[in-house]
Amino acid sequence: MDILEEIKKILAEILDIENNIITPETYLIRELGAESIDLLELAIAINSVFNIDVDDDEIFLRTLRQYITEAGQQDKDILQYLAEKLPFLMRERLEEIIADIESGPTLKVKDLISYIDLERQKSWNINSRLHL
Amino acid sequence: MKFTGNRALILGGSCDLAITLARRMIEAELFPILTYRNEKGREYISENLKDCPKKYSSLYLEFGNRDSMDSLLHQTGDDIAFMVDFVQGNFESLVASADMEDVFSYFAENISFRTEIVKRVARIMMKNKRGRLIYISSAAAKRPNPGQGFYAAAKLASEAIYKNLGLELGGHGITTVTLRPGYIDSGRGRKFIQDHSKEVIDKVPIKRALTKKEVVEAILFYLSNSAAGFNATEIPMDGGLTAGK
Repeated sequence: MDILEEIKKILAEILDIENNIITPETYLIRELGAESIDLLELAIAINSVFNIDVDDDEIFLRTLRQYITEAGQQDKDILQYLAEKLPFLMRERLEEIIADIESGPTLKVKDLISYIDLERQKSWNINSRLHL
Repeated sequence: MKFTGNRALILGGSCDLAITLARRMIEAELFPILTYRNEKGREYISENLKDCPKKYSSLYLEFGNRDSMDSLLHQTGDDIAFMVDFVQGNFESLVASADMEDVFSYFAENISFRTEIVKRVARIMMKNKRGRLIYISSAAAKRPNPGQGFYAAAKLASEAIYKNLGLELGGHGITTVTLRPGYIDSGRGRKFIQDHSKEVIDKVPIKRALTKKEVVEAILFYLSNSAAGFNATEIPMDGGLTAGK
């Protein structure tokens, strides 16, 4: 299953837009104008289509600013701290996010893909252990 | 009456009203799933619905026990069209003399836990793009007696959760109604009515308590397609008890 294509289909339906304007680099909130009710629908659709548990706060990066504050308060390296808290995001993406954060909500389509990818890997690992 | 959907989760399924409702649902070709919190509840459901085998199911759910919620929703799967919520712990105390540990745990069970199950069932219903939830509150939410402050507070908070759910998800096919029954000649209310019959008759404009059947028929109506226009609202059903001074 091509995760990007499925995400495009879901977003196009929820937001009533053409799916050819959606790329991995598209911002969900800044560009597509997704609102909280749209994100709720998106989380439920992702859960249903990909058969994975979805933590809304995590997948939509709602706790990002809180983690940055916590890292500062605990005198920890921000990138390292974020990598621990949001393990589905690669270091390069976290650097991008930190550089971009003052411009508004940073959530991109590719972040959803990373989240889904990691959660699917986790469930495959669990399933393969069960079948050993 | 016509219904959109078939499977109905009944929280607090071992009370008399829930069992009467389950029986009416079965007659209406719905499939009730009644929750119980202990073995006594499970046996009570089984005894009272023994003539309807395979037409209902009963599952364990104890408010405050999140494992029981996980297990319940795992077993029900993604096919829940309706939910009727009868659960309410009893807690009577004067506000100024309440034990605070009891207060914290009462609110955790009756508000926070309820919120979690409402949230999770609503997400299941969103997948199906439809769902109807009925919360059974109480006339005491509006007019509590001394000692009922915490009960009323939990009812009002729960009403607000249901109301907002209907407000937020009405456009997605998920709607809610809260019923506020007054004196009912059933369960907990029956003994009170027997002990205070004159007081009840004096207070209630229709001069009697409600019957189980009346309440159950109203619930069934609010679940039906005929009541689809009711959403995010509280409906008193108390014979006029809370209408006057």
